[in-house]
Formats: sequence, C-alpha cells, structure tokens
Amino acid sequence: MIRKLFGTLLLGTFIAATWTAAIADSYVGLPRTFLWNPNFNEVIDTSSYAGDGPFKIGFSNASQGDGWLGTFYHSVQYGVSQNLDKIGEFIVTDANGDPTKQISDIQDLLEQGIDLLLVNPATADALDPILGRTMRRGVPVVTVARRVESDSSFVSFVTASDTALARMSATWMAEILNGKGRVVLLPGLAGASPAEMRLEAAKEVFAQFPGIEIIDTQYTGWSPANGRQIMAAIIQREGANNIDGVWSDSGLQGSGSVEAFIGAGVTGTDIPPHTGGDLNGMYQLAHENGFPFAGIDYTPSIGAAAVQLSVDVLEGTPVPQRLDVNFQIVISPGHETRSISADVLLPEYVAVDRPGELIMGSGIPNYDPTSFSVELPN
Amino acid sequence: MMLSKSNNRVRRLKLDPSLIIVILLLAIVIVCGFFLNERFGTMRNFMNVLEQSSGLGFASIGQAMVVIVGGIDLSIGAIITASTVFMAAVVDVHPGLMIPMIFGTLLFGVAIGFCNGYLTLKTGVHPLIVTLGTASILNGSVLIYTLQPTGGVPYWFEEFAYGRIWNVPISGAVMIVCFALVWLFLHYYQTGRAFYAVGGSPEAAHLCGIQSNRVILLAYSASGFFAALAGIYFVSRTGVGDPRIGDPITLSSITPVILGGLILGGGKGNIFGVLLGVIFISLLSNLLNYMNISTFIQWVIQGVIIIIAVSVYVHKGKNL
Repeated sequence: MIRKLFGTLLLGTFIAATWTAAIADSYVGLPRTFLWNPNFNEVIDTSSYAGDGPFKIGFSNASQGDGWLGTFYHSVQYGVSQNLDKIGEFIVTDANGDPTKQISDIQDLLEQGIDLLLVNPATADALDPILGRTMRRGVPVVTVARRVESDSSFVSFVTASDTALARMSATWMAEILNGKGRVVLLPGLAGASPAEMRLEAAKEVFAQFPGIEIIDTQYTGWSPANGRQIMAAIIQREGANNIDGVWSDSGLQGSGSVEAFIGAGVTGTDIPPHTGGDLNGMYQLAHENGFPFAGIDYTPSIGAAAVQLSVDVLEGTPVPQRLDVNFQIVISPGHETRSISADVLLPEYVAVDRPGELIMGSGIPNYDPTSFSVELPN
Repeated sequence: MMLSKSNNRVRRLKLDPSLIIVILLLAIVIVCGFFLNERFGTMRNFMNVLEQSSGLGFASIGQAMVVIVGGIDLSIGAIITASTVFMAAVVDVHPGLMIPMIFGTLLFGVAIGFCNGYLTLKTGVHPLIVTLGTASILNGSVLIYTLQPTGGVPYWFEEFAYGRIWNVPISGAVMIVCFALVWLFLHYYQTGRAFYAVGGSPEAAHLCGIQSNRVILLAYSASGFFAALAGIYFVSRTGVGDPRIGDPITLSSITPVILGGLILGGGKGNIFGVLLGVIFISLLSNLLNYMNISTFIQWVIQGVIIIIAVSVYVHKGKNL
C-alpha cells in the first residue's frame, strides 16, 4: 500500500513537473484521465536501463499517412531537438501502416545497436511478439499513441486517451441534442485501433440515450475529402434537415462534413452540431459559421513527451507505465452542456490567421508544418 | 519423370541474362552496404534479412508459378489475409487444433487457388479480373467478420517466424527449401516443364499432348498454397489474424518476379531469379533503413530500380 501511494505521489510529481509546463494551453492541471483513473498507475523502476549518454534511440514510426501523423512526427523531432545533449543518434524508420514491415524495421533498428526503441505501433496486437522479444533482449521499449497487448512488451505507454476523447465528445453531442435526434457517426480508418476505440466508446455513450438514433456510420480514413464525399451522399439520401448532429472522431474528416453541408446550401447556424478537433480548419469553420461545436484534440505533443520519457528511461529515472498527456475541451460559446464544460471557448482557441491545415496541440512554439525544421543529431 | 539434362540446365542458368542483372543489383547493394555501415555486412544481419524476406518469398513463389503459365494472381494478398484470420480465429478458440489448422489453412489456400484457376478456364475471363474478383470477395468477407486484428496462436508457434537453428532462421530455411523444390519440379519433372510449355504457347502445348487445363489449375492451386504458407508465417510473426496484413503483398509479390527475369506473359524465367529478387528487395530495404533514409525515398529508389531492370530486359529483346 505504502509502495503504491509512494508510486502515485511520484507519478503525480513526474507528470506535473514534466508535462504541464510543456503544453501551454488553457487547461494546465493534471491530465483528467490520470485524475479519474480508478486504478493505480504503476511506476516502473528503470535503473537497469540506466547508462551514460549520449544515447542511440531508434524510432519505429507506423506511418505519416495523414496530417495528424505528420505533426506527430514533427513533435517527435522537436522532442529530440530539445535533448541534443543526451541523444547522440536518432534513427527513424517508417512502416507506411504495414505491421509486417514495422517488425522488420524494428529488427533492423535492433541490429544497429540502439539503446532504446520508441515505437508508434501500426496495430495494437501485431507488434506484441517483436516488442516482447525486444524487451527480453534488454532493450527498453516506449510505445506512443498505440499500445500493444502485453504489459511485459513495453516499459511505458504515452497517450492522450482515445476513449476519454470519444466519451466526452459523444456525451456533448447527446446532451446538446437534449438526448434526442438523428446522428451520423464519422470514425477514422477502419481497423485502426484509435478509430475503433473511439467509435466503441462513442457508441457506448449514445446507447445510454434512447432518443439518439444513429442513422449511419461511415469510416473516412481521417481524410477531409472522404469526409466531404461521404457526408454529401448522406445529405443527398437523408436530406440535410433530417440530420441533427455529426459525431466525428477528428476534425480531419469533420471539416469535410461541414463543407458538405455548406455545399448543400446549409450555412451558418443551420449547420447541425459537429464534433472533432485536431484540424485548425475545423475550428475555423465552426468559428465562422457559429454552429454548435465541440473539439477535443488528440494532442500530437505526445511525440515530444514520449522522447522526453525515453531519455528519462535511459537515465534511470522511474517512469509511469502509462503517461497521459493533457487535452483541451474546446466548445463554441453558449454550447456547454450539463456534463461537458469548456476548458477554452472556441474564439480563444481557433487560430484565425493560421493555415487551415495546421494540426493543433503540437506543443511546438509557433508551429508551422510547412516550414518546420529543427536541429537533429544526425 | 526425372530428366538427365543437368549440364544443359546449368549452362542455361549461367547464361541467363535475367539472373545476371539481379545478381549485379544484389552485388551493388551488398558492396554499398559494406561501405556505408559497418553493421550491415555481419552474418547476423544477413540472417535477419533472410528471416524478414520469408513472407514475401513464399508469396512470390506462387506468383512466379502462375506467371510462368501465362497468368497473374492478384488474390495473393487476400488469400494471405484470409488465411491469417481463419487460422488465428480458430486456434484462439481451440488451441489444441494448432497443428491440424496448419494443414487446414494450406488446404484453404489450395481451394481458393483452385477456384481461381477453374473460373479462369471456365469463364475465359482474363485471370487479372478473376483473381481481382476473388480478392474482393475474400477481403470483403474478412472485413465483415472483423475490422481489427483478431484471434491468437500459442507462443511456441512464434518460433516458425523468429526461431533459429544453428543461427539460421527456420522460416528462411523453409523458404529456400521451397524454392529448391519448385526449381526441381519445374526443371526435372514432365509436369513442371509443361508449365513453361503452356506459358509459352497454350495451343502448341495442347497440340503436343499437354493437358493445359490441368497445368493451369495446378499453377493457381500452388499459388494459393504458397499464399496460405505466407499467411501462416505472418500469423507466427504477429501472433494474430490481421484483416489488412496481405494488402501490400499482392503487388510486392510481382516485383521479385519481374526483377528475377520472369516474363509477364509466361513461358520463360528461372525461379532462382525470383529468390534473388526477393533477397534483393529485402536487402535494399534493410540497407536504406541502415542509412536512415525516409520510406518515401525508399519507394522512389525501388521504383527507379524496377524501371531500370525492366528497361534492360526490353533492351535485350525480352518483350514484357
């Protein structure tokens, strides 16, 4: 018991000291997923991995297939640039979403004598055997964005919590509709664990509101173009007036949905309530049109957080087995609900003068994806 | 029936320009690797590459056999996917069926391959369309069953993908044995040599008394068999049945066939060229990883090499 309490205190100190300062947004408290987690979060003793720097870190990336993943990779690079005195070599591989290639990539990284493996797994399950083998070989593994099944296959998992994001946005949607209405669900990429976890969590919430009717669920691959095309077809079939809300797990496809409504002649506050963060363009559309909106970013800053945690592991600092990174709840003015309050109101959060393609929550000062460049070790 | 023309075969193997091209490419990668990274040229790394190339190798054997008879199989990736899900889903519920399911999965692959061949022959539709249709049916069925990786296999089964005997990867050794057996079959057995005859000219083969339909059915069945074997390898490697795992393999399986000098259109080529093509693709990917080169640049480099290799064949008068 004392050990667990000590561990929890240590964990709280770790998170507070390390991450709240790094993400300068409105909510600066401890991550809610940490605060409300009914279980204890184990603290991992990393003294057996401690060594003298500079360290050689291998990063096995799943993909850079969409805007969010591009910004996430920039965040990883930013994290490395903040630790140039400790990281001597940073080797990157990209599996293009193929788990079998990622397994081979990891083997190639191990053969190059890396001190630690940082990995964004392409799928939650398929990487389990190779990561287990990596750990048994004595090379610590830090997973980011997606975890694998076995606890023994990694030291720590860095996340912004897909389930919390989806539960909050779905609850907001159900409550803003007063528990009654016809809703379209626009999840991300079929089969990708973040998309499936968010969809399952959202359905769990909507199931508690008998008046909410899910009229269609369409995967979009987190693509604005797909979002627009799919929603245009649904509007054609159902009629714009018969759609009361659109739950989108990200603004990437959510922005396409809003554009489909505008294309169908539905503008301003006539556009039904939408959810979906991440993309500045989505925030801009909601701000310009004034329809009810809730945006929660799956913060790409988990990339930099994971790099920092990796360095901590190699320095022998105890780390939490799961590190939650803060997210912000952004709501349009006057549209807070009984359960979901805004951390920051939309007009204060939207970057009106910045490009619509900008992914929010990168944690990188003055971030511009087109001109982003940092100094890297090699 | 065994033939005694080994001397001629050896001479043809030595003179085959397609083998010379892929050997040259391999030599370039290996020499570059030795200069660019000291860890590249270790036996340990080469064994790693052999292990990594097994899945592509199995798939490419099947593709090569179909290409030799003048066809093409675009359902290989879908058969791999369906095999992984089929096997992992059943074994997850009935772990005691692990060994029977290996045979069951191979039989499943043979059955799908046989259907491909049968439909091609009966309908007269180009195999590209038939196998694309089969792929669509299989992929759709799998995604109806599950959208996410599913099932599982016992831990000991990982040894097929990761295990070593005298530091030689088990899967890599199985792949090389498969290539050798297929080479022996194609060159020393009458039915095997009939593959080339049917691919070269089905009409002429028919006039020579070769039962072309049987040969084509055998080629597609073999393709299904090796795709299922690749599926088994991927289950062993990932521990799950993945509804998307085969997606990139279909086109990947054609690349070593082209690099190895097999002619799309049938009738010519050496299966060892395909093996060298598989090893070349895997070594190139390995080297580019060692050089810390972005995946996107890797695609460009692979594309350029394929175009150059094919151009050389065309220049040599081989009509692709």
